[in-house]
Formats: sequence, structure tokens, C-alpha cells
Amino acid sequence: MYYYNLLNNDETLMYIYLPIAEQPIHALVILGVGAFLGLIMGLVGVGGGFLLTPIMMFLGIPPPVAVASVANQLVAPSVSGVLSHWKRSNVDFKMGTVLLLGGVVGSSIGVLLFNFLGKIGQLDFVIKSSYVIFLTLIGSLMFAESLRLILRTRKGKISRGKLHQHNWLHGLPFKIRFRKSKLYISILLPILIGVIVGILAALMGIGGGFIIVPAMIYLLGMPTSLVVGTSLFQIIFVAANTTILQASQNQTVDIVLATILLLGSVIGVQIGSRYTNILKGEYLRLILSSIIILVSFKLLIDLIAVPSDLFSVIISR
Amino acid sequence: MNSFFHINIFFLVLFITSNTYAQNQIIADLSQENVKISTDFQGAKILLFGAYDGQKGDDIIVIVTGPKGLVTVQKKEKILGVWVNTRKVNYINAPKYLSISSNRKIEDILNKKTQKISEIGLNNLKIRIQPGIKVDNKKQWRQALTRNMLKSNLWSINENSVSLNKDALFRSFLKLPSNVITGQFEVKILHYRNSKLVSQQINSINVSKSGISAEIYNIAQNYSTLYGIFAVFLAVLVGWGSNLIFRKV
Repeated sequence: MYYYNLLNNDETLMYIYLPIAEQPIHALVILGVGAFLGLIMGLVGVGGGFLLTPIMMFLGIPPPVAVASVANQLVAPSVSGVLSHWKRSNVDFKMGTVLLLGGVVGSSIGVLLFNFLGKIGQLDFVIKSSYVIFLTLIGSLMFAESLRLILRTRKGKISRGKLHQHNWLHGLPFKIRFRKSKLYISILLPILIGVIVGILAALMGIGGGFIIVPAMIYLLGMPTSLVVGTSLFQIIFVAANTTILQASQNQTVDIVLATILLLGSVIGVQIGSRYTNILKGEYLRLILSSIIILVSFKLLIDLIAVPSDLFSVIISR
Repeated sequence: MNSFFHINIFFLVLFITSNTYAQNQIIADLSQENVKISTDFQGAKILLFGAYDGQKGDDIIVIVTGPKGLVTVQKKEKILGVWVNTRKVNYINAPKYLSISSNRKIEDILNKKTQKISEIGLNNLKIRIQPGIKVDNKKQWRQALTRNMLKSNLWSINENSVSLNKDALFRSFLKLPSNVITGQFEVKILHYRNSKLVSQQINSINVSKSGISAEIYNIAQNYSTLYGIFAVFLAVLVGWGSNLIFRKV
């Protein structure tokens, strides 16, 4: 006659209580999101963290937990990716090591900054606004680039740019030789790139592939074939460092959330990489960039629209 | 000396009997005294039931108060076109859960003054602001606290939710939302007759994390570096494993 725990019926069995985010969430939704982003990653080669973290935030995961847990999950596809690139000898380990040294320093700074911003209550704002800036930038660049490629191939022209251009950045001191990448450049340049990407990775819960890949091509002048493998190699260490520091400094890594996401994403990546021939790369990128622009637009609206309540509460646990 | 002693005994006996009498007037129990937050937790619904020595027109108010502690209210302001948190007020002993249930409208049971004195009602609760911070327009901040706590379902007013039967039995469902905070919850049952408190009883509910989710939480808090290393290790393993599995397929 007396019944309690009415909520505990079959319909809700798929809900899993996230121990760090401290809320229940539908396991299939998270698995599906992980698989979808894995699919994009497998098809296009980019698009892990920088879409995953905003989607987690849209689903109601607190931004600090979203950022830290996505950094955790990024380790898995990066390891998987590096292994397959390594087999094809597409990784410049020397360059990767220099980049990751900067990346480890950068992500450590990033986590400290993350901690500080949390204390002064501006963390959500900084995370969201960095996303708006970067997603808009990347989304529109990608959109323009893929549109240009599509129009060009329709006209039947194939252009070939220079391998890489020399600029003042190549004149910096402490030059060393990167045999695999056929480069003789200042060590300061990759370290600096590593630091900047590391800070952003820790703050935004991204691997930083979408920043480091263009930086490697346009600033360092690395051969395109080596870029993806090498960036994945350094992302493993930056994401690992971020995860460990986030866990020890801020206790924001939700291992349950990260595990469900990464199970979804490794399956998605494998399926995606099998069907890369279905659509042309530039069409895929056009679709992806449209998604990115939409996401950044939604985040921008959240920042500029008049909030329904100017006040909000934080309940200390 | 002797008479003084007798008078003392007299008052003691009177005190004890009246006290037992008062206690006997209301008895309550809960369907669940320990709420466990495990991996399938989505909130809890607890049945509170009991008997009281009532007359026609008596009222029952049930107040459930969760752990008290720091709750911060933030205010956003528009800076360069975007909304940023600029000011905050810390409440140092705010209940992180509060539900007030009654058999009819509280304003019909108690007048404003009595509500205020007995701290019944969301705005009558004495919640202190962290000393040292100058706050202007305290009322606005306090209203914001109440509004947001109501919105998060952590605070609630449930008038008409206590059902009375034959002026002797009462029952009510207490709802704990999925975002509930762990700790000791006090369940206070108040029995009113003509706006006067006749009797009361206090029960308690203990909300704790249990099972895997509790262990994960504890490890993340107490062995945080180790937890981080394990999280990375797990991800590396899955990444490597997936590479092995899918290569052969």
C-alpha cells in the first residue's frame, strides 16, 4: 500500500548518475553524442573536443566538469589515431616532443588559470566566450575554404601552393634540425605554439587540433602528411596532463561521463574512417563548419541575450 | 528546606508528565530514513505518515530542512554587450534543501507575525550574510536566493500536500530532487490548533552517496592525483584496445 521511490521504474533505467557532475543523465544520449562526434572525427579528421564540450554544456553538464571530462576522453581517440599514423610513418616524434613540452607547460598554466577563474566566479563566462571566438573563427574559415575548394573543383582548376613560406618567425634563434619534417627552425617557435595550444586546451577542454594543425602547416611549414599524426601525438600528452591536473586541482574530471563518451567516440571514429569515400572531404567540411557556426551562434546568444534572471546561485557542496 | 524540596519534585513531575503527554500527541514515521545516491539515483519520494491527537480544524505543517552552509548569489551586469557576473553575496547558513508542506494555506493556519516568529516561510528564515561585505538592497538579494532555490527544486512550498484523516492520521510525500545535497535532513512535524503549537516531533533523513558512485566521488576527492592518472590510463587503454580490435575486424 505504501509505495515509494516511484521514479525507479523501467523507463528510467537508462539513466546514470554522474558522480562528479552530481546529476543523472541518459546514458544513450551521451553514448550517441560520443559516437556522432567520433563519426565526424573519423570522416573529417577533426572535430573532437571543440564540439563535444559545448554540446555537454547544452545538455546541462556544468562547464568545469564538461571541460575536464572531455579532456579525459580525448586521450583515447588520440592514442588510437597516433597508433594508426605511426604505422604509416606519419609522425615526427622529435617535433611532437618539442610541441608537447610547450603543451605541458601551457596546459599547466591553463589549469591554474581555470582554478583562479573559478574562484572569482568568471569561469563559465571565460569558457563560453572563448568558444564563441574560436568556433566562429574556425567555422567561418573552414566554411570559406571548403566553399572555395568546391567552386574551384567545379571549374576544373587544380592549384598547388608553395610547400611553405619563410617569414620572420623562421629567423628566431636556437635553431634545430627536424629531419623528418625537413625543417631547420628555431625551437622557440614550436614551444610557443605548444604553450598557447596547451593553455586553450586546458581552458576549453579541447585537444587543440584545430589550432595546432593550421599553425604547423602555416607557421612551421611542416609537410601536410605529418601534421595530423604529430598533432595527435602531442594532444595525448596535453590531454593527459590536463586530466591529471584538473583531477588533482579542481576535482572536475567525471570518469563515468568520460568513459561513456569515449566508448561512443571510438566506435564512431572507426565507422567514420571506413566511410570517408561516401562524401567528398570539402562537402563534409562544409557541413561540419555549418554545425560549428550554429553552435557558436547558440553560445553567443547565451552571452548577449538578456538573461531571464540576472541572479544565479552557486551551492557549495 | 523540606517544603522547597517538595515543590521542586512537584514541578519536576509536572514537567515530565506534561512533556510525555506532549510527545504522545504526535507520532510520525518515514518510509525511508536513509536515502542512498547510487548510479541509478533520480531523486527520492519518501512517505511521511503518523498519528496525532487532533480535533476538528487542527493543522499540520511539515518542514524538512537539509544541511546548511554557504550559498552564493551572483548578479550579472551588461559589460561591452555581454552579460557577466559582477557582484555576489555569500549566505553562510542557508539551507541547501528546504520544503514546507501543510494541509492548507499557511496564511490560513498562522498569521504573518507568528510565521515570522517561528521562522516558517521562505522569507522568514534567518539566513546570515557573510560579515565584512557591505550589501545594499538586501531584500533584492534575498528574493533572488529564494527564487533561484525554488527554481532548482531544492526549496519548495507544498500547501495542501499534507492529507489529514479523521483528525487522527496524517500523511505526506517528501520529494528529494536528483540534485539534492548529501547530509542530515531534519523533518519537523508541527501540530497547530487555532494557530497555537500543540505538539511537534522531529525525525531525520540521512542522504548519502552509496555504491560505485560514492566510491568514485570519494576517490576523486581524497586521492585526486591518483584518480587523474587512472582516468588517463583507462582512456589510453580504450584507445589502444580499440585500435587492436578494429584492425582485425
